[in-house]
Amino acid sequence: MIEFKQVSKKYPTGQLALYNINLTLEAGEMVFITGHSGAGKSTLLKLVAMLERPSKGEVLIGGRSLSKLGRGQIPNYRRRIGFIFQDPHLLYDRSVFDNIALPLRIAGMGQSETRRRVQAALDKVGLTGRETTFPLMLSAGEKQRVGIARAMVNKPTIILADEPTGNLDPELAQDIMFTFAQFNELGATVMIASHDHGLVERMKKRTIVLQKVD
Amino acid sequence: MANPSNKKTAPKRNAASTTNPLSVWWNQQASAIKFSMERLWFNPVSTWITLAAIAIALSLPTSLHLLLKNMQTLTADKREVPTITLFLKQSVAEQQAKDRAELLSEMPEIDNVRVVTREEALADFRKITGFAQTLETLDENPLPHVLILTPRLSLLGDLEMDVEGLSKKLKAFPEVDDVQIDVEWVQRLRGILRIAERIVLVVSILLGLTVLLVVGNTIRLDIENRKEEIRVTQLIGATNAYIRRPFIYNGIWLGLFGGVLSLVIVHVALLFLVEPVTKLANLYGSTFILSGIDVFMTLKILLASSLLGIIGSWLAVGRYLWQSDDAIKD
Ligand SMILES: Nc1ncnc2c1ncn2[C@@H]1O[C@H](COP(=O)(O)OP(=O)(O)OP(=O)(O)O)[C@@H](O)[C@H]1O
Ligand SMILES: [Mg+2]
Repeated sequence: MIEFKQVSKKYPTGQLALYNINLTLEAGEMVFITGHSGAGKSTLLKLVAMLERPSKGEVLIGGRSLSKLGRGQIPNYRRRIGFIFQDPHLLYDRSVFDNIALPLRIAGMGQSETRRRVQAALDKVGLTGRETTFPLMLSAGEKQRVGIARAMVNKPTIILADEPTGNLDPELAQDIMFTFAQFNELGATVMIASHDHGLVERMKKRTIVLQKVD
Repeated sequence: MANPSNKKTAPKRNAASTTNPLSVWWNQQASAIKFSMERLWFNPVSTWITLAAIAIALSLPTSLHLLLKNMQTLTADKREVPTITLFLKQSVAEQQAKDRAELLSEMPEIDNVRVVTREEALADFRKITGFAQTLETLDENPLPHVLILTPRLSLLGDLEMDVEGLSKKLKAFPEVDDVQIDVEWVQRLRGILRIAERIVLVVSILLGLTVLLVVGNTIRLDIENRKEEIRVTQLIGATNAYIRRPFIYNGIWLGLFGGVLSLVIVHVALLFLVEPVTKLANLYGSTFILSGIDVFMTLKILLASSLLGIIGSWLAVGRYLWQSDDAIKD
């Protein structure tokens, strides 16, 4: 499903973030990526979402190399991915509702269906009733959860989460992890980068440890 | 499963792929329309400044065009239609003159012919004081029969008339003694109006470009303010078309409302002119009425301004997307 073949990533600054990664994820698998800060966890996820391109090697999705994807096909591909950013990248001039609805609007979904889906997503991340709030009025953890809701609302087939529980208290973090697990059970392939060893161990999923390259 | 090349293998979880494309299209348009309207509404100062700039730029060529149109109708006033006067030879009898008039009126270049017999002419002369006594001393009427021709020549008509040719043709008739033509001034005026038309065209093009630049620059600034938003939407799968859409609508609104505002400006200016123009026309005994903007012209102006808005915003967004495409490539 997701396959890394001898992937290296060197940033234009000269920083080598990943070196010779070989990794295969089955369809419907859920894995954790751990490693020290700067080990390249975010970079690995960005390569899958085509937010970065590998300097060497290739990333295959469903057996097809991402480098073969034309420029016009990238948006369509990204829409099947739910990306939870380490920094949630919310739009600060729009309400929580509009932020979460964004992927649905991009897909051209109708009003009533949009409302229903956004409500369901809000419910999953425990933010019911906060639709009209603006991101600036939210705590870091709440912003993070809006980001999670936005990633899940379009029911993506691949979920990539970069430190999704970094700002959450243990209980909420656990809830969010279960939400990911639920999506996984429905068939989504899930990759989660996390520092939280305790939480990762409790989930009992495959864990990949990245070493920092020097 | 999420094989980018093969949609069939993807599970039917993505609702967008199961809804019908027409409603997808409509939903996307509707949200872009709503969003672009809101942008205009919530930035009233910059919106009004832009609209005013567009309106002023558009009202200048519109008023010049109106001025020209009015001058054309003024000179095409029926009473002012120029004439050709044929003086017949003394030997020509009244019946002969009338027959010739009949024949002349059949010519395609001639609209109508009026016969002024020498008796009528003399009677007219008598009315003019000072001449009466002079005429008494003559024992014979010295005046010839005269034919007054109205050529088919109007300033608005595109029929190019060869006055020289016509004059030669008329002179060749045996009854005709002399031809006096009073149409050159019309042709000169027509030439001047034609130059004026060109000037209006050039001014229209230049000010149209101004509108294009104003819209383009406004949209460019708007994009600049929303870079982060555009980037985020791109990260979650927005197509270039999706990103472009609200800006294009924004351009349409600026063009359209700018056009409406320019029409308001021109109408107010016309109202301001109607009274003195009517007064002046009365002094000249003319029934001239200042003509305004008709429905057809209104539609033309609004269509043109909306189009300029679309093109302006298209260029601005296109430039941005082109640059950001390059940025993603490395
Ligand atoms: N855009 C960038 N340009 C240059 N270097 C970068 C860029 N992004 C990341 N790096 C470098 O690449 C390396 C890996 O970064 P990455 O963000 O993938 O680490 P990480 O494992 O996610 O760390 P953290 O746990 O702190 O989030 C780091 O040394 C970082 O400095
Ligand atoms: Mg990271």
